Amino acid sequence: MQDMKAFLFILPFFVVYIIFTIFPVIKGLEMSLYDWNLVKKLEFVGLENYQKMFGDPHFWRTLWNTTLFVILTTPTMVLLSLGLALLANLNTRFKTIFRSSFFIPSILSVSVISFLVIFMLQPYNGFVNNFIQSIGINMEPFWMDDKVLSWVTIVMVTLWWTVGFNMILFLAGLQDIPESLYEASEIDGATGWQMFKYITLPQLVPIGRVIILLQILASYKVFAQILLITDGGPGGATRPLIQYIYEVGFTQNNLGYAAAMSYALFFILLILSIVQLKNQKQEEG
Amino acid sequence: MDKHNLVSNRRGKSNPRFKKEKSNFLQKNRAPKMGVKITIGLIVAILFVFPIIWMLFVSIKPDGFATTDPLSWFLPPYTFGNYINLLFDSLILRWLLNSLIVAVVTTILTLLLTSLAAYALSQMKFRFKYFIFIFFLLGLMIPGEATIIPLYEVAKSLNLLDSYSGLILPMIASPLGIIILKSFFDGVPKEVVESAIMDGCSHFKIYYKIVLPLSKPALAAIGIFTFIGSWNNFLWPFISILSEELYTLPVGLPVFNSAYTQTYVLPMTANAIASIPLLIAFLLFEKQIVKGISFTGIKG
Repeated sequence: MQDMKAFLFILPFFVVYIIFTIFPVIKGLEMSLYDWNLVKKLEFVGLENYQKMFGDPHFWRTLWNTTLFVILTTPTMVLLSLGLALLANLNTRFKTIFRSSFFIPSILSVSVISFLVIFMLQPYNGFVNNFIQSIGINMEPFWMDDKVLSWVTIVMVTLWWTVGFNMILFLAGLQDIPESLYEASEIDGATGWQMFKYITLPQLVPIGRVIILLQILASYKVFAQILLITDGGPGGATRPLIQYIYEVGFTQNNLGYAAAMSYALFFILLILSIVQLKNQKQEEG
Repeated sequence: MDKHNLVSNRRGKSNPRFKKEKSNFLQKNRAPKMGVKITIGLIVAILFVFPIIWMLFVSIKPDGFATTDPLSWFLPPYTFGNYINLLFDSLILRWLLNSLIVAVVTTILTLLLTSLAAYALSQMKFRFKYFIFIFFLLGLMIPGEATIIPLYEVAKSLNLLDSYSGLILPMIASPLGIIILKSFFDGVPKEVVESAIMDGCSHFKIYYKIVLPLSKPALAAIGIFTFIGSWNNFLWPFISILSEELYTLPVGLPVFNSAYTQTYVLPMTANAIASIPLLIAFLLFEKQIVKGISFTGIKG
């Protein structure tokens, strides 16, 4: 009887979870073994899709682009969010203003931030180019048409857009550091820098580790802002793996191959999240 | 003894006299350094907010306005004509409504499903409990982005493509929600629940009358994040919605922006319309949002 009642509580979640979370994982495996288009499944091809993947230069290129995005954004994100958290933790009357301003871009939709950036960085009549010219720097950078500059653009936009979340995690970490540690070291005559180095930083290591792992995990899923800002260009230089999966599936009409590549992504993310969960277990003791 | 007193006094946050002294002390000794830090902070804060301010100013310039002088974006003439044009002559109001409906329903259903399941996992005894909990935890390791292709097939075979339910249903079974709520429900004193059972309360009544009201902070945190997540979700609506009338804002805006590349004014107004509801919500709920992040971020 008790069993029945409990199952009634669990049932709604259970059904939705099975259909939309668990079943797609199995379905994806099946699809990756077939030649499968947008209309229906065609024929069983075994591991052919996976073989194709290992020999596909676009797969490796886009996987590398995604990895490059992770490499570029993770350390910058950690440093920036720590810096902003330290500023927002200062005991001044600007405290709330700092925190709100650093966080506010995070609530905007990816489409909004992307087009905001496109319009601001437009050559000839974009705000940023006009501004640098008006202060006397005679340059006309093409932010989205140059390999290096388009990466700079994407990394900067991503930092601006998403740093607020990590800043708040660091802020929570900072506020958890017992005041008594600072007071004791103040009595011992420690300088501000020494306090930062020997108290603040070590105390932030656990939350820092969580932030790094969450950041890597989230960055491997990068897609929308790159699609909207550079459309993967110039010449595929910024195209991430998820965009390639999307194109193979929905423009090249090959869901089977797209599912196989999704499995590769799944595998990478699975390993990362196992590392993350292990790390968290350690934190909790 | 004296020293001990001093230390405990210093620790005591409730001593207002000491607080005052401390801040004076800080101001005297660290004033120049503090000044530099505040200046840096203010500059960064302005840089962060600036694009949003610019967007709002551009949205109230007359349609077709163009300039190469950065300053004149901020100067009059102003007009609200673009807002009226867009709200009445485009699909944007419809998209706004779609986003709102999807986000609200997703949030309500997520809270309902996760809290029911978390209640059973926390307060009831039943067979396979541990196994089911672990099974739900597995979901944390399944990233939606990597299963989007098969999800498309699943939605197709259930006739859910191009519909509100198709946007909502795949998003409501949140394992993270279960974990957060279960650990919160675990904190409800056992005696309260036990004595309610003694009094003949059903589990549903305990869930509804005792546990839910006690868990408002956790529910609020999950609710806020589910709402923002749904409001800003891009990939799934982008793939699963085909008809323009069913677009949500994030999917609709790009259509808009690329149709008007000659002028910034109308696209910026569209972006502003998409952002203003969330900006207002942020200003109203800032404290809860910040608390929610520290709360869920550390747990999840």
